[in-house]
Amino acid sequence: MRSPFAYVSRPGPLQAASPAAAVAFLGALVAVAFLYSSPLVLVAAGAAVALAGRLAGAWAAVRAAIRLGLAIALPIVVVNALVVNRGETVLARLGDWPLLGQVDVTAEALADGAVFGLRAIVVMIAFAVYSACVDPDRVLRALRPLAGRSALTATLVSRLVPVAAADAARLRDAARLRGPAAAAVGRAPLARRLLAGSLDRAVDVAATLELRGYSLESRRAPRPPSVREKTRHSSSLRRRRSRYDRRFYLAGALVLAGAIAGKLLGADGFHAYPTIRLGLEPTTIALSALLVLSGLTPYRRKPRRQPAASSRSTGRRRPNGGRLRPAGPVVRPSPPRGPGAAPARRAPGTAVLETPRV
Amino acid sequence: MSELAIRRGAAPTLAIAGLTYSYPRSAQPVLSDISMEIAPGEFVLLAGRSASGKSTLLKAACGLVPHFHGGEIEGGVAVAGLDAIESGPGELAGAVGYVAQDPETQVVSTTVAAEIELPLELRGDAAAARARAVEEVALALAIPHLLGRTVDTLSGGELQRVALAAALVTRPRLVLLDEPTSQLDPVAGDELIWLLRRLNEEWGVAVLLAEHRLERCLAAADRVIAMDAARIAFDGPPTDFLSWAHDSSPALSTPAARLFSLAGIEPLPTGVRAARALLEAPDRAGAEDPTPSERLQLLGRHPHGQPQTPHPSKLREEGVGSSAPPALRIRGLWVELTRDDAPHDVLRGIDLEVNRGERVALMGRNGAGKSTLLKAIAGLAPTAAGKIEIDGPKSRAQDDKSAHRPGVALLTQSPGDYLVRERVGDELPGEVGVAALRVVGLEHAVDADPRDLSGGERQRLALAIALAGQMEGEELPGLVALDEPTRGMDRTRKDDLVALIGDLAGRGAGVVVATHDVEFASAFAERVVLLGAGVTIADGPMAEVLSGGWYFATEVARVLDLPGVVTPEQGAAALRGEMGEAR
Repeated sequence: MRSPFAYVSRPGPLQAASPAAAVAFLGALVAVAFLYSSPLVLVAAGAAVALAGRLAGAWAAVRAAIRLGLAIALPIVVVNALVVNRGETVLARLGDWPLLGQVDVTAEALADGAVFGLRAIVVMIAFAVYSACVDPDRVLRALRPLAGRSALTATLVSRLVPVAAADAARLRDAARLRGPAAAAVGRAPLARRLLAGSLDRAVDVAATLELRGYSLESRRAPRPPSVREKTRHSSSLRRRRSRYDRRFYLAGALVLAGAIAGKLLGADGFHAYPTIRLGLEPTTIALSALLVLSGLTPYRRKPRRQPAASSRSTGRRRPNGGRLRPAGPVVRPSPPRGPGAAPARRAPGTAVLETPRV
Repeated sequence: MSELAIRRGAAPTLAIAGLTYSYPRSAQPVLSDISMEIAPGEFVLLAGRSASGKSTLLKAACGLVPHFHGGEIEGGVAVAGLDAIESGPGELAGAVGYVAQDPETQVVSTTVAAEIELPLELRGDAAAARARAVEEVALALAIPHLLGRTVDTLSGGELQRVALAAALVTRPRLVLLDEPTSQLDPVAGDELIWLLRRLNEEWGVAVLLAEHRLERCLAAADRVIAMDAARIAFDGPPTDFLSWAHDSSPALSTPAARLFSLAGIEPLPTGVRAARALLEAPDRAGAEDPTPSERLQLLGRHPHGQPQTPHPSKLREEGVGSSAPPALRIRGLWVELTRDDAPHDVLRGIDLEVNRGERVALMGRNGAGKSTLLKAIAGLAPTAAGKIEIDGPKSRAQDDKSAHRPGVALLTQSPGDYLVRERVGDELPGEVGVAALRVVGLEHAVDADPRDLSGGERQRLALAIALAGQMEGEELPGLVALDEPTRGMDRTRKDDLVALIGDLAGRGAGVVVATHDVEFASAFAERVVLLGAGVTIADGPMAEVLSGGWYFATEVARVLDLPGVVTPEQGAAALRGEMGEAR
């Protein structure tokens, strides 16, 4: 079973974009989460990354990140409420606690904790979207010139972690399939078995790397392209840029510029202490709107379908025996709208146009 | 293959002279005085029983032995002029490619394109050259549509092709394959073998292929090398190999060769095409007795090989199975699993009944739903709709909610997953444990370390673990299920497994085995259930189902194309005119 955070290759601008462009876009939203404390701005940043994930087809990763983020945010709120005694609106006096002393739960401490939790959720969603949409091989290839061995190690880890998770799931299944009289499998034997299996896999991977020529990597200088290669292949192959890169760089730059400008213009007017001040300035609202809109960056307009000349006639059969509907608008009488409903009003001799579903 | 393609006289692609090798801390050599050569463009099949030294020989040819595994080595190994013992696998990477049995162990990247590109990247090739090489090898292996996919979304056959692509992308002169079809269904296995043949012919790459299921690849080979007890026991053309195997090592004989041998027809055929040609040879006409071909016509052979798979409903009407209470009854089973963030119906309305003592082979291509069905029966896969009823001694008594469904013993594809302790007796304590060991014939191994057992013994131990405590006296649970138990097994071990399955059924358990191995199914099963995309597409007596198709048919059935004739013994009887007795 695959983790919802695992990268899945899907057609989409965020997946097609170069890792640097994707990081610039998502990183700008994460930077906003760290720069601002305004709940409105944080919610807008969270909405932006969630929307971007949704449009990139990584909704499962977004949902998992929200669940995980809530599980982390809740303890943050509770702990902050218990350990911080600042704030004027006391909601509960819990008396003297060992180590903590007098514990007063204030609305301000709760709000402050909620902001910390919200920030954590935004960051987790952003990382979830990054993990599910950005090809780790491309990231590591980009890093390889800087630190080849570290990048390869990271590649192997990114591959072996989900494999180890699958191994663990298989071992758990086998443990459940043991007969009732077989010795029970505790966590320790299971962990030992998993570790042994991981070491076996590591040995296999090491052998594979040997066979692929890894041991020579450090000894070889990069082979320059031959004259034939230079003439036959365009430089675009080497650079491998996506046509969506500019869009993500622009969105990231706009978000970051807007966030810095907003900060200077007082858009982050939130204060938790001594009393809560939300600070909903026009600049805060404008920045929030900009952030939410930035979530549309991975949007891709569906390509317009061209009428297919060959299937315009009514005759072609589908492999399943069905018949293709003719392409382009088809004319058919409108169906009745329910028992006793009056037929749709239309002029005599006209028909309802329906876009065909292909 | 033409003599031109096999450039005899040119420097050999692989030359081994007097090679003797022992693994570290091993007294016995795994390879003993091996000498052989492979010419450029030659397709060589490496045959032999388990532990005869095939895999080690392949590892020596690519430099893993001794550089990666250590040990003691004597003699010489040269690949494309490079000394493999001096050079090591890194230096040999451009000259030799290696594909292991389990492609999962050979994948190091996340996406297919990156995986194929990695050897070139490590070699320092420029990006443009890498892009072109990846594109070309993907086209050659018919996998360009996979390049953008992540490796964990691929099927076994697709992953094996990706591993092959990564081995071929450097354009090596020799490719070594260690049982590459053992985890593939018959369709994917056949495709891989013929893909290798095509690459061998078009690219001129020499192939050294180790395989157990020889019937699948013998026809594609130019030459066969058979190993026995660390030595080369035979080296020659496929037809000579069959004669040698018939006399010296019957376990290596193919079903078609056994058929011809039993029927007294010579020469022995290397494959289905050769067998059919031999049966229809004109020089057999004119004799007083009808020729085998004429006899087959008289026996009602389908002139154009039309499949005769009985329809499941027809079989049910004819009353396949007994009227005793079934060990397993499934009604309208639907299982939905999430794949690529979307729900998919893996099983779609399965109906199945298995009686006590019945031996059922569950077959179908990779992804047809076999393993999911077994997991659903054992309670490991959530069901979306339908009902599963199991009859067994413990099914009424056990109420352990954390365990799997009682009354079922399921052995999954990896028996090693069941073995977590260092002593057999610690896995199965007490009298009940010993009783389970007795059922699988391992009562003598109570004090052994599971890692010291042979592959077959480990499998039986895992089965005993699944059975332990589910028996009342000698009575077994209602259903014993095995998922792909013959991976990497030679014929001797398969015969042992057939005997064990017969014993379990004889003790009253219904036995369901999911397998891709058609010949193995014909040896143990009395009934075959064929799944396709989550639905039952055939369910009937083994001889009828396995003689009614092309991929899911035994080699004998494909040669003779006679309804109900699937084994060499049945086929030989038919050829001798004893059809009534055989059927």
